[in-house]
Amino acid sequence: MLGFVLRRTGAGVLLVLVISFVTYLLLSLPDNDVARSLLGPDAPAELVAATNAELGVDRPVLVQYADWLAHAARGDLGTSWFTSENVGTAIAGRLPVTLSLMLGVTLVTAVVSFALGIWAGVRRGAADRLVQILGVLGYALPGFLVTLVIVLVFAVRLGWFPAIGYIPLTESAGGWLSTVTLPIVSLSIGAVAGTSQQVRSAVIEVLRQDYVRTLRSRGLSRRSILVKHVLRNASAPALTVLGMQFVGLLGGAVLVEQIFGLPGLGSMAVTYTTRGDIPVIMGMLMVTVVGVVLVNLAVDVAIGVLNPKARRA
Amino acid sequence: MNRTLRTATGVLALGALLALGACTADAGTPAGEKLKTLTIGTMTPARSMDPVDAGGGSIPFYQAVYDTLIKREPDGKLSPMLASDWKYDATNTALTLTVRDGVTFDDGTPVDAKAVKANLDRFRAGGAAENAQALSTKSVEVTDPKTVVIKLTGPDPALLDSLSDAYGLVANPAKFSQDKPFATVPDGTGPYRLVADATMAGTQWTFARKEKYWGPAPAFATVTMYVFDNENAIVNGLKTGQIRAAVLQSVDQQIAATTGTQLKTTTQEIDLKLLNIFDRKGAKVPALGDPRVRQAINYAIDRDVLVEQIQQGRGTATSQIWGSQAPGYTKELDSFYRHDPAKAKSLLAEAGHAAGFTLTLPRLTALVPDSLAEAMKADLAAVGITLKWDDLDRVSFLTKTFREFQYPGVVMNGGQPAKDWATVSGSILPKTIANPFGDTDATIQDLTAKIRAADPAQAATLAQQLNRHIVEQAWYVPLYRMQYLHVTVPTISVVPQAGLAVPALYNYQPAA
Amino acid sequence: MNAWHRFLRNPLGVLSALVLLVVIGAALAAPLLTDARPDAAVLRDAFGAARDGHPLGFDSAGRDIFSRLVHGARNTLGGAVLALAVAVALGIPAGLLAGYAGRWFDAVSSWLVNLVMALPAMIVLLASRAVLGPTVWALMIILGVLAAPSFFRLVRGIVVNVRGELYLDAARVAGLPAWRIITRHVLVVVRAPIIIQLALVAGVALGLQAGLEFIGVGSSGSLPTWGAMLNEGFQYVQRAPRLMLWPGLALGLTSAALVLLASALRDALEDRATGPRQARRRLPADVRPARLDGEPRAALLSVRSLAVSYRLPDGSEREVVHDVDLDVEPGRIVGLVGESGSGKTQTAFSILGILPEGGRVSGGSITVDGTEVVGLGARDWRRLRTSVVAYVPQEPMSNLDPSFTIGSQLIEPIRAAGVSRAAARQRAADLLRAVEIRDPDRVLRSYPHQISGGMAQRVLIAAAMAGDPRLLIADEPTTALDVTVQAEILALLRRLQRERGLGVLLVTHNLGVVADLCDTVAVMRQGRIVETGPVAEVLGAPRHDYTRSLVDAVLDELPLTESR
Repeated sequence: MLGFVLRRTGAGVLLVLVISFVTYLLLSLPDNDVARSLLGPDAPAELVAATNAELGVDRPVLVQYADWLAHAARGDLGTSWFTSENVGTAIAGRLPVTLSLMLGVTLVTAVVSFALGIWAGVRRGAADRLVQILGVLGYALPGFLVTLVIVLVFAVRLGWFPAIGYIPLTESAGGWLSTVTLPIVSLSIGAVAGTSQQVRSAVIEVLRQDYVRTLRSRGLSRRSILVKHVLRNASAPALTVLGMQFVGLLGGAVLVEQIFGLPGLGSMAVTYTTRGDIPVIMGMLMVTVVGVVLVNLAVDVAIGVLNPKARRA
Repeated sequence: MNRTLRTATGVLALGALLALGACTADAGTPAGEKLKTLTIGTMTPARSMDPVDAGGGSIPFYQAVYDTLIKREPDGKLSPMLASDWKYDATNTALTLTVRDGVTFDDGTPVDAKAVKANLDRFRAGGAAENAQALSTKSVEVTDPKTVVIKLTGPDPALLDSLSDAYGLVANPAKFSQDKPFATVPDGTGPYRLVADATMAGTQWTFARKEKYWGPAPAFATVTMYVFDNENAIVNGLKTGQIRAAVLQSVDQQIAATTGTQLKTTTQEIDLKLLNIFDRKGAKVPALGDPRVRQAINYAIDRDVLVEQIQQGRGTATSQIWGSQAPGYTKELDSFYRHDPAKAKSLLAEAGHAAGFTLTLPRLTALVPDSLAEAMKADLAAVGITLKWDDLDRVSFLTKTFREFQYPGVVMNGGQPAKDWATVSGSILPKTIANPFGDTDATIQDLTAKIRAADPAQAATLAQQLNRHIVEQAWYVPLYRMQYLHVTVPTISVVPQAGLAVPALYNYQPAA
Repeated sequence: MNAWHRFLRNPLGVLSALVLLVVIGAALAAPLLTDARPDAAVLRDAFGAARDGHPLGFDSAGRDIFSRLVHGARNTLGGAVLALAVAVALGIPAGLLAGYAGRWFDAVSSWLVNLVMALPAMIVLLASRAVLGPTVWALMIILGVLAAPSFFRLVRGIVVNVRGELYLDAARVAGLPAWRIITRHVLVVVRAPIIIQLALVAGVALGLQAGLEFIGVGSSGSLPTWGAMLNEGFQYVQRAPRLMLWPGLALGLTSAALVLLASALRDALEDRATGPRQARRRLPADVRPARLDGEPRAALLSVRSLAVSYRLPDGSEREVVHDVDLDVEPGRIVGLVGESGSGKTQTAFSILGILPEGGRVSGGSITVDGTEVVGLGARDWRRLRTSVVAYVPQEPMSNLDPSFTIGSQLIEPIRAAGVSRAAARQRAADLLRAVEIRDPDRVLRSYPHQISGGMAQRVLIAAAMAGDPRLLIADEPTTALDVTVQAEILALLRRLQRERGLGVLLVTHNLGVVADLCDTVAVMRQGRIVETGPVAEVLGAPRHDYTRSLVDAVLDELPLTESR
């Protein structure tokens, strides 16, 4: 297991390096005048040139990348061109917001889709059809429309939850919960729709296995078979889907953070990519790629724990 | 299997209960506390906490933690702040400032003439967005510990306003030697201090009232500024009371904020939507070199429909760039170019462009919505001019439009200063953003020189003449002045700032 | 019933295919459907209501909404098709090659795929917009690249699976060039999963595209797309909420149709019926009572007039076992023979009460140890299964849960009877010893994949013995094993049967086994028992033609088995 983790970690580091290099090159392709867009149209040309030199964007791209990498390796992701913030600090400040959403959604998705998926897979019939219809609805409704409606109804009209903003968990647990509930619900709808279908298929698949029949023949109750054997065997494929959902949530977070005005990575991504703030874009990409690598690793380890056969791989 | 379902329902219900509990807790904040808090929603973030980065819509951020030399009152009048007095010499080329007694920075460094000079010099050297404010300054001299003299290259009627804006911000010179000294940590004499824990540059800044402030204590104990990418979130925040003040530009959001709410609103007609023609010499599009062609474009656009449909009446069609609060404003010039396609065609024919020509303009969708883009296209097509839009993102828009000048012009939002000179220096003098190729003529040179040195009463008449000349020459294609809506919760009132879209931080007060 | 017919019988699938056809048709025929140009703007008409020739009214710029909707379908679907084309062009050939040829190409491409899959799609799309500018087509190409791994992995996985199959070997031996093998044989296998994946990825592409345009990132100016229309509608949601209605509806319907189509295609192509849908709503169907002729019934197991029926998708039932009579006395071994599909396993499952979903005993009577088990409650069934009747399945490997150790699986039923953990573990080890496993502790700690098939079958027999049963139902207990192991297992079964005085119902197709082991035999064919009697009698002088043919077949085989 340890060897497996080490090997995967090594591959992950290589992956991060390659991605960072390619991205840096691509981002530097367009000949945009960074200082101009920074200083605005009024700034005199000499100042623009001086600022470009100060930012180091007048150097060859490879030199810029080497410089960036040397700093990044020491944990220094540089300084935002636009807000003068330390990129690491800026990301660290926003990470809790997005992470709150992603973990919250993953938790809700796991609980609800396992419940729905098992219910549908075991009961079949009307329950199955209900879950399938919910799945299609959740999949087909554009996420941003759902989110808009949720804000209008539960925040603006009913006033149950705040419509915007984020309260850190460290400040007030209740406040945190009140600010993340609606975003989590909005994001969970699509995630539950997709994941519950997968859990359902996995459960049906496991229920068809010979060993389930044999376990029944040994006088074990349906429930204990379900709770112990079906759940565990259906978990591996469901975990894989959940892991992919987790990664995909970043995309959803972009929309939801915009609508709820949450200061997370998603809204940061939109703001800074449209400005072409390369240090921030690189920083975000690195953090998210590392996150993805870690999540995938965690999923693989979890599957290894659940399914001894997978450990050999 | 019912059990699993029941468990799931239970978990969901529990979540909902927790959330409701949380909400009640939030609502339990004492009403008095809420009154002392000002939360402003805006779409313009501060680039940093460094005064050299200050400018335009971000000035309230800096007003929280810094003071300016001169204070700008809501109606545009100037009053003493860090400078207790100021005086021009006879030729209007030297301004003597007297620095207020007894003001110190938090570390005890006194605000004296040396500190003021250091700030002015730093702004001029490393100045940024509002660098233009310091262009007329030749040198800054300290004559005694309390007196600073700004020597000018020529009269600058806008200087005092600049000193009440970015140029006038005073930061602690003890930190100037550091690398990026005020990027995230401000150090000024302002009434508030930045609360780092509750601040996330780019989205949220929180300021807390200082225990000790040299001037009158500000009304709000806490000021929080939230930055959003869209006004929809701001309006939602206003409706739930999470945001307590904001300026709304989008007409649709203005309507959203005013229907079925208790919010207080004040309208202000402030920014101008205009087509700025850079290429008045006709270097890129030869036709534009002919004033008749530029006039034809002015006649071709049906401004009334633009105001009616795009602004839903929340604005005024105009043919002049002067704002209605400036003395040089001439009401009749608003309707100088009435929609007249026939006249436009005959002007084009006179200029030898009866067959029309093609005009390619850059487009940033945030500035030019579909409705405006398509309407201009249709109106110009009706007189034979083919308008093509190049859709650009923000960075390449700025680069291609304002550095490389790849386009003959641009549709943008212009300010509507309350002072004539601000309009003259911003839109008419050569080598400004609005006039990058240095266009001018004898009339303009004559009038600007006169306005620069004239006393206010005379200056107004001269400015009106200049205004008319610019309109007749069709330097610009002004479209309409946009109405902005200042929205506050009932417990807060705001007085709009004359000539500026964003109210100064001082303009907010708890409602009586 | 072929895939096409199965598809046509799925109303949701047909409906969604129709919706998609309408949408695609509207996109293709856009200029015919409306005279209005999608970019013709008359600002005076902005937000105008529907009128003649403009069935849906006007948008914020005074453009015809209907025209933008149908022309927008071209760009929106075109974008999705572009993304799909890129994903397919990159993913499928690479997947085929990686799966078929393997080696370095597989290593390199799999690594690249991992790289792409580690990229957060939204961040990459946003970043690439900064590079490529705000054109929706460029973003769709990037999206295609990001989606390619899903095709690659799908195709590669399937190809790796079929690579070792016999027919590919045969094709290779026949000297067909690799590309012919891939196109002729492999593509046929991956076709169905690819079609399904296409529909799913198309839906994702539509959603992402609309999302990007919604936040104003993917807009291409006046180019009409549904996402751009939604974005516009969002800006004017207060004034004219209906601006969001039409593109939202179009997007929602198309995405829903795609996902429904994908699931219908999967069911049709992979012949995976969604199962009896009416399962729970039907009242418990009647059970035809047994014809009891007054003959004495065996004390241990007695089956009379047994009928087993399966529900068909249309709600009707089909009887697969008809009128079966069987008796097993204590200490006797009864063979139940017949070819596969003859109903012998269904009979065995009925006795154990473990018929698969959709199947039920529809007639007759089964008594186990004097208890009528037809219509028996779940609790009583469990009591019977833990102490009276036990089951030894056919495939040893698939009948052990791969996720749990042998020990855990053996101990669980023992503990369920209220035995302490330590005692249960001791008993499990004893049971393993009883089935002649030498190192029970190691086996208890092992996972199923760590032991051999013969060992697994011993474990299953041990598990069956856990409750000291009196009746053993053994369903082809040796079929999946090597010949040498078969003999050992049969010997083991015989020993246990003698030592414990078990009654055994041995389901098998192997007459040799029957001759070797059984006291009496019943021959099944097409769900009926055609002949029954003492082994020597039935095999020695078969009365029924079918039995005779079975016996003859075995005799023919004999020289073959010997010559091995």
